[in-house]
Amino acid sequence: MSHHLPIAGSKDEPLYAIGARFETPEALLGAVERLRREGVSAYECFTPYPIHGLAEAMKLPKSILSFLVLGGGVSAILIALSMELIPSTLIYPLVVDGKPLNLSALPQYIAIVVALTLMIGAITAVFGMILLGGMPRLNNPMFAWDLFAKEASRGFFLAIDAREKKFSIAGLSDLLHELGAGDVTAIHLEASESPQGT
Amino acid sequence: MSTATTINSAEKDAPDLSVLARPPQVLNNRGPLWVTDAVCSIVEGKTPLWWYAAITLSGGLAAMGGACILYMIVTGVGVWGSNSPCFWAWDITNFIFWVSMAHAGSLISALLFLTRQKWSLSISRAAEAMTVFAIICAGVYPAIHIGRVWFVWFLFPVPNSYGMWPNFSSPLLWDVFAVTSYLTVSSLFWFAGMIPDLAVLRDRATTKVRKFAYGIASLGWLGTARQWRHYEMMYVLLAGLTSVLVVTVTTIVASDCATSVVPGWHATIFPFYFMVGAVYSGSAAVLTLLLPLRLLNPQLRELITPSQLDKVCKLLLMMGSCVAYVYVFELFNAWYSANPFERGAFWERFTGSSAWYAITCLSINLTVPQLFWFKAVRRCLPLVFILAILCNVGMWFERFMIVTSTLTHDFLPSSWKDFHPTIVDILTATGTLGIFFTLFLLFIRFVPIMSMNELKAVLPGTQPDHSRRETH
Repeated sequence: MSHHLPIAGSKDEPLYAIGARFETPEALLGAVERLRREGVSAYECFTPYPIHGLAEAMKLPKSILSFLVLGGGVSAILIALSMELIPSTLIYPLVVDGKPLNLSALPQYIAIVVALTLMIGAITAVFGMILLGGMPRLNNPMFAWDLFAKEASRGFFLAIDAREKKFSIAGLSDLLHELGAGDVTAIHLEASESPQGT
Repeated sequence: MSTATTINSAEKDAPDLSVLARPPQVLNNRGPLWVTDAVCSIVEGKTPLWWYAAITLSGGLAAMGGACILYMIVTGVGVWGSNSPCFWAWDITNFIFWVSMAHAGSLISALLFLTRQKWSLSISRAAEAMTVFAIICAGVYPAIHIGRVWFVWFLFPVPNSYGMWPNFSSPLLWDVFAVTSYLTVSSLFWFAGMIPDLAVLRDRATTKVRKFAYGIASLGWLGTARQWRHYEMMYVLLAGLTSVLVVTVTTIVASDCATSVVPGWHATIFPFYFMVGAVYSGSAAVLTLLLPLRLLNPQLRELITPSQLDKVCKLLLMMGSCVAYVYVFELFNAWYSANPFERGAFWERFTGSSAWYAITCLSINLTVPQLFWFKAVRRCLPLVFILAILCNVGMWFERFMIVTSTLTHDFLPSSWKDFHPTIVDILTATGTLGIFFTLFLLFIRFVPIMSMNELKAVLPGTQPDHSRRETH
């Protein structure tokens, strides 16, 4: 190995990422801005709670979830209206209390439209968040790094993808150290035979 | 020189801004690590003895309730005290009681989140759990009160070719949709808010079983910036949807009564009436649940601060005053309508056989919340606990009064008949209390009872100081 970083995972397996830990959210934010200036783009930050300004610093696009929920809500309106109006007015006209079958009777159908719109909107929001966030997932190569697996709820972590070609591993490691990162580690994939690693 | 003097005099005249400072979210300047430890320790520590005692009691009550429901199903609804004309009695009373109690949970977590009321962060998870469990208890009743439960699928909009003729104009069918969507949305809101916190428990797990269980439950959450981006968007969207849902569900439940032409129910104020009553009883229930929890887990005293409880008391006071307004308005409305049946219904309510519970309801709900005007009362937690329980009792009597006193005294005196609960009625109602507390006890034992990620994000010093960074 040309670099002298501590190794997580199995060293015979391919390198997955270079991980680093920062003590404060400011340090992480500073590191992200510096990496962007240096032209590094394949990296991910891991924080125990949402950090204001981090997504902007990473130039992440706005979440498309709101559009998905809008789509879910609009389809729910159409589903609810067709479920109510097609059978009750067209196929099996049902006159209750002498109420008319034309559109002037629309208000009585609104309650179910609202209930279904909210329900399908909420289902879209939650499942959309899960799928857009790359979940559900049983394991992640990051968990090969014991420090991350134990401390993810405390520290501010950064992982630079091994496919990042702009810098050598040694160069990245120097850059991270210069930015004040601690515990810079080379995270390798775990050997497939022994999931515990060696 | 002159500038300096101006600044000095300005400093002297400047108002004392410290009075505007918000009370701390967590007492004693605790940091994020302490919050994680304090919340996780409830789940990770040894199961306390009181928990076993409590779950034995509540589990026993729930089993008794289940046995009563089974007995009712195999025997028929005749085992209840419901009669003609009082077809809806304790079943619908308890349904409305539970579904209303649920509302404050959604309101506290969703509406207060949207309005950036950060004080509610420590109590929102528990309030949401209360919502989900109360809807489960409420959902028991509509299903069993139809009598022949094996026909419960008739409630759903089955195709007309089956000959069921689902009537989409009926509030009873709206109710099916409202309660179903309320249970779905509030469960999703509760679960989705928990995902990052379940991941914390997964990372801290020491045994394989816990690691596996919390690993599955947290869906592989890593806390990446991309995940947080979608998560925050989802949370705002869900809070918005839930806030609308709270209002529509009570409105629809109130429409069950209001769209009938029965005197005492046929009033346009009913949706508002149910809504304020719902938030009132729910805030009381939040206090009833949180105060013992805080007593039994000392570390929670720094997380659920007296100032936050004070605000829940104020919410209770405000909603209690709205309830009082509706009571008065309802009486005025009956008089002003000049409708002899409407006037007669209210006269009978307070002078007839229903007088004892109508007067119990009014005397509790008109007086008890008004005590919260006094700071000394709001700060005396044992007293708050007792008053909160009283408010819930008062609200149960209100639901009983609305449902039963109206039905037992309709248009024709010849058809009037009083309602008397049977032992099965009483044991089933107690059983739902058991179901509720069993679920709540499981909740406090196995999942984080506070939203750690939201709390940590608003603690002082946990966010980068952007103003300082710009100047560098």
